[in-house]
Amino acid sequence: MLTSKQSDRALPTFISLLVIGVLLMTFDVRLEGGGVVGVLRSGTQAIVSPMQRIAAFGVTPIANALDSLSNVASLREQNAALSAQLAESQASLVAVQDDLAKLDLLEQIYDLETDGAELGQTVANVIGSVDAALIIDKGISNGVLIGQPVIDTNGYVIGTVKSASSGSATVLPITASRDGLTVLVGSQTGTLVTRPFSSDLGLEMDLDVFDAREPVLAGDRVLTSAASTDYPAGLPVGEVLEDASPESTSLTTSVRPFVDPETLRFVVVLAWPPDPVSAATDDTIPETTETTIAEDATTTTTTPEDDG
Amino acid sequence: MRGRTALVIGLTVVIAVVIQTTLFGRLRVVTPDLVMLIGILLALTRVRTEAVLGVAFLSGLIMDLLGASLIGLRAVVYTTVAFIAIRTKERAELGRVTIALWAGALTLIGVVLILLIGTLFGQAVLLGEGAVSVMILVPLANVAVAALLAPTFVRLVDRDRTALRYP
Repeated sequence: MLTSKQSDRALPTFISLLVIGVLLMTFDVRLEGGGVVGVLRSGTQAIVSPMQRIAAFGVTPIANALDSLSNVASLREQNAALSAQLAESQASLVAVQDDLAKLDLLEQIYDLETDGAELGQTVANVIGSVDAALIIDKGISNGVLIGQPVIDTNGYVIGTVKSASSGSATVLPITASRDGLTVLVGSQTGTLVTRPFSSDLGLEMDLDVFDAREPVLAGDRVLTSAASTDYPAGLPVGEVLEDASPESTSLTTSVRPFVDPETLRFVVVLAWPPDPVSAATDDTIPETTETTIAEDATTTTTTPEDDG
Repeated sequence: MRGRTALVIGLTVVIAVVIQTTLFGRLRVVTPDLVMLIGILLALTRVRTEAVLGVAFLSGLIMDLLGASLIGLRAVVYTTVAFIAIRTKERAELGRVTIALWAGALTLIGVVLILLIGTLFGQAVLLGEGAVSVMILVPLANVAVAALLAPTFVRLVDRDRTALRYP
């Protein structure tokens, strides 16, 4: 009975749907995106992502052309700025190559072995976005898992994988995450939090350092901290916009992330932590565990191998 | 007949979701909310009101599931907008321009509701930056899309070539 006479059951239907919607929101908040909600997200992505991939073939050239048209006015200025930046980068590259050569020499002299454990990387195309989240064309079948850190091709932090299906995933940028990011500025550890409803003129985040010992200066680089559970240490996040001095023991300042998620076409998903199972086994699971049952007063000893 | 209408609506919603999350997800200047607009324009058709609300709810839910925002947020907002559309459609059916402005006004209500409910549930940052520009650009874009596509959409769903023809 899809197209019959208009009935006046709109109000009861509307109220019922509102109640269902509010219940869904409550479930989502309580489950924190996991459980049934996570399964629903993955399922929907699995159904829609093939269509999004097909659409992306046609959409990408159109989007690029329209982007180019909107940027054509500032093209000359951008070109001059990029030329200057290129010259600067080439000079830096020469300096870095010198340093690398010295490092190689010193490693040979002292017979040092470099740590060859590099993180696995999955390069993915951004095929779309919903709100601030990005949809990428790689998923679980490509080794992309929920919670993995995502960077751009320059190594700058973008965010983490929020949900993943077999062939696609959703990336939540740090600028849209409700969770603070633990970062390092100089030798101080702080928390980077998003600023809701910030202006369109520039992405900015707030940096709070609660145990501030020294001022931070405009231009200071903000890196991911080893204390962060979501990212490997040392990834560049952004730069400080304003000088700030400690007031009592804390300071607050603005940070501009290096990456504007809206302009991204490719992202890199890092397989991090590299081997969470063995890491957990090595550090947290003892060689043998003893279980004592009070009633029988018996003791069983198990090893990790026994546990499978 | 009924199956064909359901098929047309279903296909339209799927196409709108795909275009919304790909093309309009990439463009920063042109940003209509096609999925919300379908819920609004369905109110102008002869489709039953319960079905219109159901379609609005489900299409909002799909958008919620594809994004990273709270599940149910868009479903609630799209349903509310569709309900207001059902209750006010008589005022809009005066001409192509009136329909477009009506669709734009309803979109503005929808965008404000998304920001309001999103803020209440701590989702303000997920909805992206630039709330003021979103409140201006999205309704304006929907005005343009509604002016272009509303009559065609209604004729397609109702299979009535005379629908929304004005002198």
